[in-house]
Amino acid sequence: MKSRALTPWLLVSPATLLFLGLVILPLILTVILSFHVYDHTTGIQDSFTVEHYVRVVTDDYYLAIFWRTLRLAFLTTLICAVIGAPEAYVLSRMGDPWRSIFLLVIIGPLLVSVVVRAFGWSMLLGSTGLVNQSLRALGFDSVRLLYTETAIVIALVHVMLPFMVIPVWTALQKLDPAVEAAALTLGASRFTALRRIVLPQVSLGMLSGSLIVFGLSASAFAIPGLLGGRRLKMAATVVYDEYMSELNWPLGAAIAIIVLVANLAIMLGYNRLVETRARRALG
Amino acid sequence: MGFLTLQSLSKVFGDFTAVRDVDLSVAQGEFVSLLGPSGCGKTTTLQMIAGLVEPTKGTITLDGRDITREKPSRRGLGIVFQSYALFPHMTVAENVAFGLEMRKVARPERDRRVSEMLGLVHLASFAERYPRQLSGGQRQRVAIARALVIQPPVLLLDEPLSNLDAKLREEMQFELRRIQRSVGTTTIMVTHDQAEALSISDRVVVMEQGRMTQIDAPYRLYERPATAFISSFVGKMNRIEAVWRGGRAEAAGLGLPSEAASLPDGASIGVAVRPEKILLGAAGQGLFDGTVTSRFFLGSYWLFNVETPVGNVVVSLPNQGAEPVAEGALVSLGWPPESASIVAAAAGAAA
Ligand SMILES: Nc1ncnc2c1ncn2[C@@H]1O[C@H](COP(=O)(O)OP(=O)(O)O)[C@@H](O)[C@H]1O
Ligand SMILES: [Mg+2]
Repeated sequence: MKSRALTPWLLVSPATLLFLGLVILPLILTVILSFHVYDHTTGIQDSFTVEHYVRVVTDDYYLAIFWRTLRLAFLTTLICAVIGAPEAYVLSRMGDPWRSIFLLVIIGPLLVSVVVRAFGWSMLLGSTGLVNQSLRALGFDSVRLLYTETAIVIALVHVMLPFMVIPVWTALQKLDPAVEAAALTLGASRFTALRRIVLPQVSLGMLSGSLIVFGLSASAFAIPGLLGGRRLKMAATVVYDEYMSELNWPLGAAIAIIVLVANLAIMLGYNRLVETRARRALG
Repeated sequence: MGFLTLQSLSKVFGDFTAVRDVDLSVAQGEFVSLLGPSGCGKTTTLQMIAGLVEPTKGTITLDGRDITREKPSRRGLGIVFQSYALFPHMTVAENVAFGLEMRKVARPERDRRVSEMLGLVHLASFAERYPRQLSGGQRQRVAIARALVIQPPVLLLDEPLSNLDAKLREEMQFELRRIQRSVGTTTIMVTHDQAEALSISDRVVVMEQGRMTQIDAPYRLYERPATAFISSFVGKMNRIEAVWRGGRAEAAGLGLPSEAASLPDGASIGVAVRPEKILLGAAGQGLFDGTVTSRFFLGSYWLFNVETPVGNVVVSLPNQGAEPVAEGALVSLGWPPESASIVAAAAGAAA
């Protein structure tokens, strides 16, 4: 009897240990670190302070970065939803050889390192890149794209799209095609059937996709680092700077914790809001 | 000209012909069943009428109007899908109201018609439930209500009872017929269950491998099956391989009474007799004798397998209360000539 009661605990223990060791422990250390006093000449002190937090939430420089991070992550999520959901729908309606091919095309980019893809975008978007060359060839003025928020969002959307397409596609797979047909026979146009019948049923897929995309975008590092340049920083890049250039580890830790808490609060709030509504209807 | 007509309607998928030259004319208010085994093209035919599958060839007319190429949303037919296809995120009332909403029926009128329809299918107290909170039979009735509330000229039902358990299926058959009678909608029902088709339809259309092979009233279909396939598919049927000789059927040297036929001498034929048409008697008093090899009690009737010189013959006998002959008993079998029909010989048995 006793061993049976223990079995579940034994079974989850490897995962628990991994989680504790690799996530919780570093997190606790980071929290502790963020309260340490830092001195520019002598480094990290053994005394504690909330000065870093106060500084971050009162300094316009950091607030602007937080604001940009949220804005770009939100924009990326929105664009991914707008592009990804129809893409998933088209994908689910494709015939057999094409569906597999296009699924591969969509997932394929995941196999290429984000850094490589960021460099690819910087070549495309640079002042002498393909985009500007084409614009000039067509007689337009060249535009500044690289090191702008536009470049960051374009690249983030490219990287994040599969994370939106896959959950929506999975939700669509579970949909009975007859349900949409039923709406058509009851007099709904194709568009109305999509909006009133299909969309509400894949909203849970879109919700989970949005959560993944938002979370990953808000903490993205390589793309803003390479496409935002020195000036346009996002949360992850500023944390990196505090650690590696300023060597002010406690301040970096404080920023990291604030980003984490903000991210968590937004995602949980969003999750609760949409999921309770969707669950009530879908069960 | 019927209310709904199909003319040489065909559907080809790639190189496979799912439906071939179907001709059918349905009168207004009629209840017609499409009966056939799984995969014979019933759903495809129904979906062509609904506008969800485009016919390869042929025309569909409704009340004299050609609707072959019309969009499903414009046809305005009521359809009950095999899976019911209820909208899972809408309540029962919202499901039923959807078609009216699409027709821009004003709110008070819509509410009135929805509650009237829910009353008709006995679901008035379930209006605020979601489909997942309903039983199979209730879901089926929601699907019917949703299809009927738009007052469609034709109601199409795709195996509406196949997802229900046996008892409920029987109840719903009569329920379906009651609802259809009270609204008077022309109805086409698809089913693979012959009992279902026979019990509630005005006419039954039998389909075999994409073709229509017989269109008849249920009792005529049962009594006068046009093909060997229909005779075995609709009800139970004994077929005795025989030879036509001297104006009568002969098997194992015995003359078998049957309806008259003009066939050449020596032709291979089958004699088809329904189990309930065969009379069991004491040994030596019938056409020929046989031994009861097994016996099954089926509630309202008994079923016997009798080993005879002409092969195994199935006989059924209504349950009169007393226990009938036991297994191993010697019995005689007989039937009046009008109870046996002559059918083509089974493939392979032809001489
Ligand atoms: N979209 C399709 N593509 C190819 N073959 C199909 C398609 N739909 C149905 N079929 C084929 O057509 C035949 C008839 O199908 P269906 O009408 O669904 O049969 P039933 O409803 O009588 O069981 C089946 O053999 C089926 O495999
Ligand atoms: Mg079918």
